Amino acid sequence: MPERPLQRICYVEDDEDIQRIVRMSLERIGHMSVEIVTDPLRAIDVMKAWAPDLVMLDWMMPGMDGPALFRQMKQLPETASLPVVFITAKATQRDMEELAALGAAGTISKPFSPRELPDQLRAIWAKLP
Amino acid sequence: MSNLANGIESAEHGAAAAIAEDIRDHADPALVRADRVDQLYSQLPLGMAATTVIGIIAAVELQEGRLFELVLFWGGLLALLVALHGLLFLGYRNDERRHENTEQWLRWLGIGAFAAGATWGFAAAVFFPSHADERQVFLAFLLAGVMSGGIPMYAASWPMFAAYAAAIALPFTYVLATFGNRLFAEIALLIPLFYAVSVAIAYRLNGVFLSGYRLRHAYQRQLVELDEARRQIEASGRKLALFAERAPIAVLELDAQGVLHEMNHAAEILFAYAADELAGKSVKRLVMPKYQADFDRQWATLMASRQPMSGVKVRNVRRDGLTVVCEWTVTPLVNREGQLLSVIAQGRDITAQLEAERLKKEFTSTLSHELRTPLTSIIGSLQLINAGVLGDVPKDVVELTEVAERNGQRLLDLINDILDIEKIESGKLTLNPEVLRMDELVREAMLLNKGFGDRFKVRFQPRGELTAREVTADHKRLLQVMTNLLSNAAKFSPEGEVVEITTEEAKEWLRVAVHDRGPGIPEAFRPRIFGRFNQADSTTSRQKGGTGLGLAICKRLIEMMQGRIGFQDREGGGTTFWFELPRHA
Repeated sequence: MPERPLQRICYVEDDEDIQRIVRMSLERIGHMSVEIVTDPLRAIDVMKAWAPDLVMLDWMMPGMDGPALFRQMKQLPETASLPVVFITAKATQRDMEELAALGAAGTISKPFSPRELPDQLRAIWAKLP
Repeated sequence: MSNLANGIESAEHGAAAAIAEDIRDHADPALVRADRVDQLYSQLPLGMAATTVIGIIAAVELQEGRLFELVLFWGGLLALLVALHGLLFLGYRNDERRHENTEQWLRWLGIGAFAAGATWGFAAAVFFPSHADERQVFLAFLLAGVMSGGIPMYAASWPMFAAYAAAIALPFTYVLATFGNRLFAEIALLIPLFYAVSVAIAYRLNGVFLSGYRLRHAYQRQLVELDEARRQIEASGRKLALFAERAPIAVLELDAQGVLHEMNHAAEILFAYAADELAGKSVKRLVMPKYQADFDRQWATLMASRQPMSGVKVRNVRRDGLTVVCEWTVTPLVNREGQLLSVIAQGRDITAQLEAERLKKEFTSTLSHELRTPLTSIIGSLQLINAGVLGDVPKDVVELTEVAERNGQRLLDLINDILDIEKIESGKLTLNPEVLRMDELVREAMLLNKGFGDRFKVRFQPRGELTAREVTADHKRLLQVMTNLLSNAAKFSPEGEVVEITTEEAKEWLRVAVHDRGPGIPEAFRPRIFGRFNQADSTTSRQKGGTGLGLAICKRLIEMMQGRIGFQDREGGGTTFWFELPRHA
């Protein structure tokens, strides 16, 4: 378990409504700092600049999907070690296994409850080495 | 008869005996008897003619002297006998049912034969003592002649001959023995011997006739059976040809090399070839070039195993170049000697079916993603408001946002349930079995559903000790089942009630039961309770939520985990829902 509490979350998501809900949930209920990225192609730059504790990736996005972005992160020294949580609506067994194989820290299935989201993230955070 | 048959059998040994038995089995005894009677009656005219001629000669020869009246009487008797035989013959000929009334006709003829024998016996007894030497020789010669003449006459029935000959021989023997002449006494001793030999010959002949008749009938019957068999084969051949010709599936007949011999109409339409165009050519012409190597491999397997193959999907190419996906059933026809006669291939175009399956999958995936995404926003927004994130909201606004959140959740449950049941029924749901402690699982389910219970003011509570034994099951899916049973119990229990949970263990099973104090399951609804989209009362889903799929999913999930699910009335009112899972060894 990391020594510091979970504070800075970077969320890559193309749906603006969900962006708003996640921001409100994490800021107001979880009292965390949130940086939202709409364009996955810009995500790596934001991560480098903003240095989040944890990254949340949407699975399906136009331009580049979550797993592709994740693989790209793994190639770069600045982002390779960032814990990644996937948010997915198509949570089949095979997808879950695929995500685990990629080295994801966890998955949260859509729809998620904004009331419980901060706690869910903290639980994943607590399990990290 | 059986003695004779036995004699033949022992003389000719094994194979011949078997054939004789076979022939006997195949010959109808009634028909054989009818043949014998026919044979006997067909000899009658000859017999009557011979009797008349011999009778006239005898009468002329014997009438001289003082015996005129007696000879006249005897001649009259003989004439009457011939006349009666004539009537018997006509009667038999005119009886249309003579082949059924064989017993009766045989009896009459027997009586006639005995009477004929007795008439000749009468001649012996009356005329022999009263004539001089040369007439006695004539008479002895005459009697020997009529007696042996009876053998061919009555050969088809040796007892009849025996009766006929006895009626001649007995009086003659008596007369000779009592004549007082030593030579005659010696002849009298020879006559029974002569009689016995004649009867033995008749017996033998009878046997020969009989086996002849049997052979004929057995042969006739075989012919009839063969004809029937041939007709049946022709009929089934026509039927099969019709099946293939009119079948809506493509049927091909191939040889061991995959060369096409025949194809039916459906195949012509499917592949846009006429049957003669492809006859004598390799069936590989109908397989997409890219998949011909696959085809060769499968064909080799088929030729090696000679076992039917079904569900073989092949990308076939039509004459016009279009591709169709067909599902084939391939059956090698092998004869008793293990020789491959031909290969029958039956194919069905499943192109449209595959496309429909693809569309359905696409639809399910779309349903999954495109419906859940907006629901995430809707339910999420409402949850944030209801959680008080925006500060105090007027009470009547919260009332409405709570209604909206609850119904959004209901819509989501429905989508999840539909996706679940679709996944289960298409066999796409895979379980992650792990070893679970039952008491821990029950407590986890109670905790998870506490909120739901609170909403209906119902408490979940274990009764007795929960078992710490283990089952092998999918944790998430077993919780889903428990959640379904607990939420049903909460929904249908009166406010303030307690829903009790018990566990029981048997040698091989663990049982979890959820006991409610609800209104019970209506009789009419019981058989359908685990069906899809079923709720006892449609107002329930409006008032309390639920999709009507919950129990259907529970049943399928529990069965996938090798368990059973059921329910029963609870004593004192209410219902007990239970499921059983195999105990972890």
